[in-house]
Amino acid sequence: MNDIVVREDLSLVATGSQDFVTVMLDGQMVGIPVLAVHDVLNAQKITLIPRAPDWVAGVLNLRGRIVTAIDLRRRLGLPPLDEGLSSMSVVVEHNEEPYSLQIDKVGEVLSLEDHLFEKNPVTLDPRWREVSVGIYRLKDQLLPILDVDRLLAFESNSKAA
Amino acid sequence: MDDLLNEFLTETGESIDVVDVELVKLEQDPNNKEVLDNIFRLVHTIKGTCGFLGLPRLESVAHASENVLGKFRDGELQVSESAVTVILESLDRIKEILAGLEATEEEPDGDDSELIGRLDAIAEGGEAPAAEPDPEPDTVDGEIIDPVLGRSLKAGEVSLEELEAAFANAPGPEETGEAEDTPASTETSADADQNLFDRIGGEDTVAVAAHLISQRVENDDKLSKFFEGSSTEQRKGRFMGLMLALFKDDLDAADAVGRQLVTVAGFGEAQFDGMIAVVKTVLTECHVNADTADEAVMTFELVREAVINASKEVAQPKAAAGREKAGTEQAQASKETRRSSQSIRVNVDLLEDLMNMVSELVLTRNQLLQITRNMDNSELGVPLQRLSQCTTELQENVMKTRMQPIGNAWAKLPRIVRDLTVELDKKIELEMLGADTELDRQVLELIKDPLTHMVRNSADHGVESPAERIAAGKPEMGTIVLNAYHEGGHIIIEIKDDGRGINPEKLSKKILEKGLATEGELAGMSEAQIQKFIFHPGFSTAEQVTSVSGRGVGMDVVRSNIEKIGGTIDMVSTVGKGSIFSIKIPLTLAIVAGLIVKAQEERYAIPQISVLELVRATSAEKAGDNDHKIEMINNTPVLRLRNRLLPLVYLNEVLGFESREETEERESTDDFIVVSQVGAFTFGIVVDQVFDTEEIVVKPVAPILKDLEIYSGNTILGDGSVIMILDPNGIASMANQGVSDAADDEDDQEMVRRAASNEKESMLVFRAGQDHPRAVPLSLVARLEEIEIDSVESSDGRLMVQYRGALMPLVLADENMSLRESGSQPVLVFTDRQFTMGLAVDEILDIVEDELEIKLASDKNGVIGSAVINGKASEVIDVTYFLGLAFPDWLASKDMSEDATTSRSSENVLVVDDSDFFRNMLRPILSVAGYNVTAVNCAEAAMDLLEAGDRFDLIISDIEMPDMSGYEFAQAVRDNADWADTRLVALSALSSERDVNRGFEAGFDDYVAKFDKDTLLRSLSQQFKIKGDAA
Repeated sequence: MNDIVVREDLSLVATGSQDFVTVMLDGQMVGIPVLAVHDVLNAQKITLIPRAPDWVAGVLNLRGRIVTAIDLRRRLGLPPLDEGLSSMSVVVEHNEEPYSLQIDKVGEVLSLEDHLFEKNPVTLDPRWREVSVGIYRLKDQLLPILDVDRLLAFESNSKAA
Repeated sequence: MDDLLNEFLTETGESIDVVDVELVKLEQDPNNKEVLDNIFRLVHTIKGTCGFLGLPRLESVAHASENVLGKFRDGELQVSESAVTVILESLDRIKEILAGLEATEEEPDGDDSELIGRLDAIAEGGEAPAAEPDPEPDTVDGEIIDPVLGRSLKAGEVSLEELEAAFANAPGPEETGEAEDTPASTETSADADQNLFDRIGGEDTVAVAAHLISQRVENDDKLSKFFEGSSTEQRKGRFMGLMLALFKDDLDAADAVGRQLVTVAGFGEAQFDGMIAVVKTVLTECHVNADTADEAVMTFELVREAVINASKEVAQPKAAAGREKAGTEQAQASKETRRSSQSIRVNVDLLEDLMNMVSELVLTRNQLLQITRNMDNSELGVPLQRLSQCTTELQENVMKTRMQPIGNAWAKLPRIVRDLTVELDKKIELEMLGADTELDRQVLELIKDPLTHMVRNSADHGVESPAERIAAGKPEMGTIVLNAYHEGGHIIIEIKDDGRGINPEKLSKKILEKGLATEGELAGMSEAQIQKFIFHPGFSTAEQVTSVSGRGVGMDVVRSNIEKIGGTIDMVSTVGKGSIFSIKIPLTLAIVAGLIVKAQEERYAIPQISVLELVRATSAEKAGDNDHKIEMINNTPVLRLRNRLLPLVYLNEVLGFESREETEERESTDDFIVVSQVGAFTFGIVVDQVFDTEEIVVKPVAPILKDLEIYSGNTILGDGSVIMILDPNGIASMANQGVSDAADDEDDQEMVRRAASNEKESMLVFRAGQDHPRAVPLSLVARLEEIEIDSVESSDGRLMVQYRGALMPLVLADENMSLRESGSQPVLVFTDRQFTMGLAVDEILDIVEDELEIKLASDKNGVIGSAVINGKASEVIDVTYFLGLAFPDWLASKDMSEDATTSRSSENVLVVDDSDFFRNMLRPILSVAGYNVTAVNCAEAAMDLLEAGDRFDLIISDIEMPDMSGYEFAQAVRDNADWADTRLVALSALSSERDVNRGFEAGFDDYVAKFDKDTLLRSLSQQFKIKGDAA
């Protein structure tokens, strides 16, 4: 297990710079606060859960813990991954329950200056706006940051999804 | 907190719990030496440990009770209730002090002299008049482990346990007397009443001497090398322990300590002499008088052998074993038994970690297996197999570590009940069943308190005083039964008492008092509903608040505690009979056996507990006559299984993979059907494939999946894969969707109730027209329906309703009642062959199970008579009358259909049944069917009638009857040639194959299960046919 301690408050406060794990989703790079990430796993065997919401990819075994896998593509309204390609998992925790976010591929960890941060543009797709904290302006592209807690707050928005 | 203290608190707490239980056992079985020894040992350990830690208050209390226990053990005192009570009290005091200790890390202040005085008084009182001059039981067992010694021993690493073992073998007080006469005795001194220890100058001198000896031997060239392995402190401790034991004449202890004195080989006679010389010098230096010093040194001779042997053992441990003194061997043996019964405490987090690591290990193993499978003839194969096996076992064992038998949570209960019986002056027996049912320890912790509370309640409020019980015609001894078992994927814990039950009237008063409900609301409630009010916050039914229960914390707390862990609590209480509380804890944290099945390439687990059997059905075309096959009724699949139709559910369909038709098309091979039971509802789940059964640890599903009722959890299988656990309850309710269910539920309940009791009859209680309740045996009711008033039509002056594609006549249950203006009307549906009628009632009140006794026969139309049901006078209705009202041609048809033989009028039927209800129920049924019926209530009366010359063509007899059973009666009838042609039909609630065979052997011509009216009538007409043919 890694020894990263998850900071209680993952909100972005102006303290210079923040670290993010970048992941790829349908060609779009997305950032996840590095402190929220517990594990990054290669393709895992995921057990399907029939009758579950479609954005629940299934459950997988992470060292004896049962982790619910969330299909981020579906959650964000993206087309499913091409046949034959397998997704990777980024394990995060919400309310002490582990969840695995299924993404296409994990990129590098970026340390980003706070002044590059901007709020969501109002025109952003509501599904994205709902789960994105804001956007970093990188040199060659934009990096939306996922709000893990809001993404996993199913109790409140499961109906909407 | 200090680790040591912490450890002490846990251990002592546990010991006290055990002593609690054992004492109660002892009280019941005062001669049980084993129990007594166990108690003594535990109390002794507690005392010893207290002394060790310097806790004088605890020690003195423990010491005083140990004293009494010692007298019990030595047979000087008889075990008596009062003595046990005082000892229990002292245990409570110890607990109190422990609690204080835990909170403040210091012994709380307090005065125990009164308690100790009482304990001493008991100990004194039991002393034989011809007591030995100096029995002082505490000299042997007590002061040895005084605080000073205890500490120094610790430094010297003579473990307490070892000393304990030695003490366990130490002679009892009376044996000490004998020991004093032995040649090795120290009784050479003139002043006999002062022992060596005191003459030397007590503990202080010994301590100083030990210190000096330890230094001297270190500095002595010849001796020092033998003591190298230990520090000065350790040596000091050992010498001190040795001297204390020797001077106090505790030879076994001395022996044990002596064996530890020298840790290096080669310590022989010469060295021992050298050591003694040092001891003598030191003692003299300490101003011990010369004679006493000599005497003291003499005592060292007693351990000479032990010390030298111990040294030899170091050199050649194996060879030494045989030369050990018998006593030492004994000490060893007792040490070993102790060790084997030991367990260690492990942090749960550690277990969790272990579990995770094991899972990881399993995954790795699987990967390895996968790799070697692709390699031909790999030499890894065999070791890998072994690894695989070990891993599996390891995993199983680690999983088991979290499970504990529920008996652990019950350990305190016998004591509690025992205390209550004394305090409340009641007689209560506590019976505990299924104590080995395993529960996750977390759940166990959580249900401990609620359980205790409920048992207390049962003892306090439930069970009556002996006088009341005798007055009520019950045995003086009340019983509380605790029962735990697995059922339907749940753990059920029942707390059953045979006490007074919960009085709804008393409760109603209280409810009104507390303003929890209005009078009107109460009037509209069934008794069961009122009784459930005990679960409302702040309720206590005892008229007086006792110290035991009723302190304001009521069943509501129990309920909320149980609901916190996802359980439910239910109660059935019958006034005068007792109450049954049942707690149902979901399997979330428990281990269950799961049947692994497959649907659409995914595996699922079905809790084994709800699986009745597995059936393999052949596809319809290929099936032979004897094969099971799935058949269709109006597109509904069913399976014929032992003459019953089993509704089927397709797992593929339930999981939304594909429709049933698709499954059927795809499946050219056989179907696997898992026959499951939920409550009393049995159905088959068709799956693609069945694997084996695995023990699974159920983990709850993630919060987002909570709404999916077809799963009860998920689990990780042995091979590391995650699978979902299906919930047969959820599947059943999915399968039932669209089908009317209320009636099914009622049917289920009825079946359950019927299964629970044979002698009782389930009655449906309802109200119609009048105020008083009416009842009808539930077995006669086909369904309960709510009929929309709008759909009621009137035709030909009669009320009709369209029901299941046909017209069903509606009859009002009372002339005085009228249908409701709007909404829906509750209707009882009765079915007799092709006739189906609805009986409209005002309100369905309840279903009660009661022994039914018709008190007053009635000649009113439609009423059989009055009976007391659930404490209220109720009219039992005659269904046949209403069927006649609904279908004027019903009676005629009855004759038509069954008139296979002669006209009925000549056929005399005798009914023998001790149940008034059955006689009263059968008579109209049989009369309507056209027989001449005579009914008697016992076999003797029937014999009298027969002897008197009355002739009957057929006798229907119950089996279970007082005095003369149905079997005996049948034999008696058969033995008389005159009655040879009388047909005999048994009608009994006992319907197992054995009972039936026995019935036939006894001479019955047919055997019909009670409640089965149709079969009875069929049997009758068959019997008459046989008779007619024979004639």
